[in-house]
Parts: sequence; C-alpha cells; structure tokens
Amino acid sequence: MPLATCVEIRPSGGTIPIDLSHVGVCFRVPNESIHSFKEYVLQRLQGRLKYRDLWALQGVDLMVRAGEFFGIVGRNGAGKSTLLRVISRILRPTSGRVIVRGSVVPLLELNAGFHPDLTGRENIYLNAGLLGFSRSEVDQLFDWVVGFAELEEFIHLPLRKYSAGMIARLGFSVASMVQPDILVLDEYLAVGDPAFQRKSLERINNFCRRGSTILLASHSLEQVEHHCDRVAWIEHGRLRALGPVTDVLPEYRRSMES
Amino acid sequence: MPGPTPRSRSYYDSDQRPAPFIEEWLELLRYRHLLWQWSARNLTLRYKRSILGVLWTLIEPLMIMTILSIVFSALFRFDLPNYPIYVLVGLTMWDFFRRSNVAMMEEITATQNLATRVYLPQSTFAVAATITYLVNWLLSLAPLLLIMLLLDHPVRGAILLLPMAMMVTFLFTLGVGLIVSTVATFFPDFGLIYQVLLTGLMYATPIIYPLDLVPEQFRILLKINPLSHILELVRLPVYEGVMPPPAAWFTGVIMAVSSLLAGWWIFSKYRDAFSYVR
Repeated sequence: MPLATCVEIRPSGGTIPIDLSHVGVCFRVPNESIHSFKEYVLQRLQGRLKYRDLWALQGVDLMVRAGEFFGIVGRNGAGKSTLLRVISRILRPTSGRVIVRGSVVPLLELNAGFHPDLTGRENIYLNAGLLGFSRSEVDQLFDWVVGFAELEEFIHLPLRKYSAGMIARLGFSVASMVQPDILVLDEYLAVGDPAFQRKSLERINNFCRRGSTILLASHSLEQVEHHCDRVAWIEHGRLRALGPVTDVLPEYRRSMES
Repeated sequence: MPGPTPRSRSYYDSDQRPAPFIEEWLELLRYRHLLWQWSARNLTLRYKRSILGVLWTLIEPLMIMTILSIVFSALFRFDLPNYPIYVLVGLTMWDFFRRSNVAMMEEITATQNLATRVYLPQSTFAVAATITYLVNWLLSLAPLLLIMLLLDHPVRGAILLLPMAMMVTFLFTLGVGLIVSTVATFFPDFGLIYQVLLTGLMYATPIIYPLDLVPEQFRILLKINPLSHILELVRLPVYEGVMPPPAAWFTGVIMAVSSLLAGWWIFSKYRDAFSYVR
C-alpha cells in the first residue's frame, strides 16, 4: 500500500510557529500497577519494582505554518492528544525538540476551569486568568465576551443556573476574545446551537485567515475534510502520513475499513 | 468584532529551558495575575457565598476556647494564666499549617482535568492554597484579640512582630506543602497517611500543653520539631507580650528558608512528571 508523503519538504514562506523534530514522549509504566504509597514502598523494598517504557509518541517530525488549518487524525490512543499536549507545553518531550512561537490557547472542555458557584462574570475573569490574561486585560474585553456569548442577562447569575450550551458559549467567547497565534481544538470545533456554531466557526476561520494556526484533533473525518488544509495521521505514536487532506484522508479511510 | 490586542508573544523551545528550579519561579512570576485570581477565587468560594462562612471563622475559636477551658482548666489544671489564649494562639497557627497542606494536596487533584488541557505553572495552585489559608489565619486573629480583651489579657507592643512571625510560618508551611503535594500527586493514598502524620505532629508540638509539662526525655522531640520553634515565634509576641530573642528569629528564618528551598526544588524537579501520571 503506497504511503502518502511521509517526509515533506519544509513548508515555504511564512513563519513556522510549530516546529517539532524527532519528538518522542515516553511514559514509564510500572509492570504491576501501583496506585498507593504503601504498595510503592513495599515493592521498592522488595526490589520488585520494574518499569517498562511506553512510547506515546516516537520520532515525530512536524512543521506547521502560520495560517494553516491543520488536522490530526488517528484511532483512540494513537497519540493525538499527546501531540497536542507536547505542543501546548503541558508535556515535556522525552526526546527530540519542540519549538513553539507565539501564544497557545486551547478551547477548554466544558466545565474545565469553570466553577458552578461563581457568577458568569467571575468565571470570565477566572477562565481568562487560566489562559494568562490579567484582570485589566479582561476589563477591556469583558463587554465583548458577554456580547459574543449572548449572555448579557445571565452574567450575574451563578454558573450552575446556566445550560450546557450557555457554558459552552461562554467558554468559547473567553478562549477567542484575543486572536491566539495557535488555537488548539481537541475534538471540539463548534459549540452551542447551530446559530452559535456558525458564528464560532466564522470566528475561527477569521483567525486562520489573519495568520493563526488552528490545530484540530478529531474523529470526525467530515470535519477534518471540510476545514483542514493539511492533516497528520498518527498511528501507534508515529506519524504514519502527513500531507494535504486529499492525499491522506482517503488512505486513512481505507485503513479504517480494513 | 473588536480589534483585540495580541497577547505578549512567547517563545518556547524544549531544548532551551532554564533549570526547573529557576523556570518554575519565572513562570509563577509570569502568571502572578492568576496566582491572585486563584487565591481570590478560593476565598470567594469560602466566604462570599455564605454569611456563615465568615461567621464561622469567628465562632469556631470561641467554641474551641470554651471547650478547652473546661477540659484543661477544670480537669488537668495546667498552671498557665489565661490558658485559652495560650491554646488559641497555637491552634490558629496549627490550623493554618494543617489546612493549607491538606488544601494543597487536594488542589493538585482537583485541577488535574485543567492541567492536562492548558499549560500553567503548577506551583500557582499550591501557592494560592497557602495564601488562602494565610488570609483565613489573619481573619481568625480578630476573635483572638477579642478574647484577649475579654479575659483582660495584656496586649503589648510586641504583638506588632506577629506579621513577621506569620511570614516565617507561611514560608515554612509552603515548603512542607510543596513536598507533600508532590508525593500526593504520585500516590493518591499519601493524603490519608499524611493526615495520620499530622495528628502525630500536632501532639509533638506544644500547642495544647505547656512546655515545662514535658518530661525531660521527650524534650528532644520538641527540639527537633521545627514547628515548635516556629510556634515559639508566634506565641511569644502575642501570649507573653515579649519580643522573641534574636536566636529564635535566626532559627525560625533558617528553617523557613530551607523548607521553602527544599520544597521548591522537589516540586519543580518532579513538576514535568506530574502530567505523565495523569
């Protein structure tokens, strides 16, 4: 079976905000699962403690341009999320080198970083704080965030009174209040009702046109096909294929069916 | 759409990172806004939502005082003037130490979901938890002062040194907390073990009993327990109304600084590995 272009020529033109060379992430997994301090001490004392290496990512070379809508596909546990975490500097690479230029903003999962007992207003400041914004920076953008999320009437209510859709809208508005250099979308692309989905997609596309890099890890091949320029196919922690959507996706589909 | 101002640009190169000890400190400085916001969030959740929350910090010491006065003054008859004040000064400090340590361990678990999604210096939550309980300690000084006035206990000028003693306690507690929360990240059951250790530590610190009641052969235990030295710094200006001797300050500061350095070193050394166990 012919592979899509595994080795790519360095993307020409523009800056390279994401540059990974030979990146590997290795988890040390104990042979017997250890969940408690007592077990650890006992096994350590008895010399029974042995680890084996589990490479979640191995030898990944990847460059992503500014303004690219970049897709990441692969089966569950293939290493998609690990790759995103390495780029977001949450995980340090065990081997290889990661260079990331610019701000990285993730679109957080529902409820992560929100507290149900705090008001919408307090949650905006808190959530923005988690993304690295100071209070005064949020002050300037506060009205815009509330307006975009269409939550003017609810902003003084505690979040537990909000519907799931309202929280999702608030989360998106905070994450997108400032154009990020790199926007990380892990399975989440569009949130809220269809109208808000259109609105948020339009905003993401606008970012992309103005030079943001969008990373989308998704199981929905339709989504990837529709939005992404290039796509990386990850299998068992390795880059199986990398190239334009039209080259990689058909192969990926074939492998899924077989 | 507004014309949003781009965030301060950052550059990350996994090969060019400073030593973890330095890096974590620089990153905490860079995220200092979050440190204040997260501390404020903890306090808001603790106090703002219920009037009882604030009242409780006032009522609790009063109730403890009543119980302890009955138990110890009536039954054991420690030969201490205004024993309830002696106890409360120690208990409020102990409460700060214990609660902020436990909160730090819990915060690390509670923020797991967040920490796997967005990059943050992990020390933020640990330091914020300690700040939260420092504020709690400050609030508990109000009822303490009230009780001192009620019992006609002399309030002397030396009490102005209390903030310095609290600062020493803060640094010491933060250091210990960083170590135990590092261990708790890898071994969730360590929290339970630590609770037991804490109980032991409390009785190894002269909080509810006077020093001279301790038999000679156990004095060494108090000597090697850093908390009893730090408690001395806190208790002397408030209860005795005297300035702690320079030697006591020296010991206290050395302990606080070494605890913080050790804690920071261990925490930053294993910080990268936190996301590996999640």
